[in-house]
Amino acid sequence: MRRRLFIASTVSALAACGPITSPLNDNAGFRRVLASAEGLNHLLIGTHGLAREYHERDVDREFRVNGFATPSDVRYAELAAGKFAAYRLVVDGAVERPRTFTLAELAQMPQQTQITRHDCVEGWSAIGKWSGVRLGDLLAAVAPRSDARYAVFRCMDNDGAGNLYYESLDMHQARHPQALLATRLNDVPLDLSHGAPVRLRVPTQLGYKSAKWIARIELAGGVATIAGGRGGYWEDQGYEWYAGI
Amino acid sequence: MKDARQAIYRYALLTRASHWLWVLAFFVLVGSGLQIFNASPNLDASDKSDPSRRVLAIGSPAEGVGTATLFGRTFETTGWLGWTDDGMGSRGAHAFPSPVTIPGYQDLAGGRRWHLFFAWIAGLCWFAWLVSTAIKGNLREMILRPDDLPKLWPMQAYYLKLRATPPPHGTYNPLQKAAYTTVLFVIAPLVVVTGLALSPGIDAIANPLTAVFGGRQFARLWHFAGMLLLLGFFAIHTFQVLTQGVINQMRSMITGWYQPE
Repeated sequence: MRRRLFIASTVSALAACGPITSPLNDNAGFRRVLASAEGLNHLLIGTHGLAREYHERDVDREFRVNGFATPSDVRYAELAAGKFAAYRLVVDGAVERPRTFTLAELAQMPQQTQITRHDCVEGWSAIGKWSGVRLGDLLAAVAPRSDARYAVFRCMDNDGAGNLYYESLDMHQARHPQALLATRLNDVPLDLSHGAPVRLRVPTQLGYKSAKWIARIELAGGVATIAGGRGGYWEDQGYEWYAGI
Repeated sequence: MKDARQAIYRYALLTRASHWLWVLAFFVLVGSGLQIFNASPNLDASDKSDPSRRVLAIGSPAEGVGTATLFGRTFETTGWLGWTDDGMGSRGAHAFPSPVTIPGYQDLAGGRRWHLFFAWIAGLCWFAWLVSTAIKGNLREMILRPDDLPKLWPMQAYYLKLRATPPPHGTYNPLQKAAYTTVLFVIAPLVVVTGLALSPGIDAIANPLTAVFGGRQFARLWHFAGMLLLLGFFAIHTFQVLTQGVINQMRSMITGWYQPE
């Protein structure tokens, strides 16, 4: 009898977790309290560590697609139909020399290849061989002004409800030696589902920071006035801006 | 001589406060951890995801059917795992049922916020308790020592009623010392460290840590297994409290005062 009571009370205590916490989870003030952990984690982990690099034999030839599989921007379909010959990466905002880059121009810049693990926020991971231009090199070419604090990535995608996909990194993260503007995955140009023609790779943070289908990089003093104001599409949905943990 | 029946002050305020904070933090961490698990309900004994090294997979192979596959053996678990209560008034393809997850509906972003906040609460609480207990010199009462080992079986024999009296011991008996030492200094720290090890930022600043556990997915597996061990401790601990004078035990952990029989 006592044992049955014990089991019943344990199961009901566990089953109360959801119903009790849901109203708290919907409370904006309570969510702000929970979110205080993010700044602490960012402060302690910092941005200087290097993600592990792997061997060729570790590479997943069938690399799992993260996020959405096809971009919904109409311009994108036209660019893809023309094999991205008309693609121009716009880099502007708080920079001394705003300019655009064609894919050929990006290919002429020094290339980095990294075999790194992509850690999805959902919990899965996959290893890919990524090649492209270091974000730091690209930024050096446009000379960021001293008031530039964030690199904001605008993507050729929206969620169907009119919200454009975007991401952001602070300048330390953007100049990290492994922050890469990838144009190739596993020795071939990026395909559509993996972010063609240019995507970001930030192997020291969760996969949603590695934005796909990038059209424009805007350097900005802040992100509060952009979309939901939290520095990214997923961040506006409640995910952490600092995604190292 | 002191009256044996006089109440004794057994638990300091910080011990009691950290005990109940841990109870709260533990339930939040389990519930929010299951929410996070649900986003990718597989555990692989590997660095990157690898179906050929899958230890546990919870899923829904067809509408209305839930299954759990452990070491390649599949069990139908409809209603309990795989196809469960979605917290929105119906059932769906959710690994763990929403009533046991935090929050009680599918919300990975929210679950992560709860998890990462209460991980700090549990960790800081552990550290404060450890420092204060060590300073007061009470730590050695509960740490298992080599001379406790021969007393483990006599104590178990006493619990099984194979022996009339427990072996002589201090404040805590040898089995209690074994349990507390294992939970507080082995399993709980391992759960914290494996949780850190599966994060890309931590992997970048402390490369060997993730590798020691066999990689990211393996760290996720250890993290989950450690949670199950802590749940096992919780079940045994609660059972002991309920069967060994629950009112006296609860009073001592709330007010600090214990009434010897």
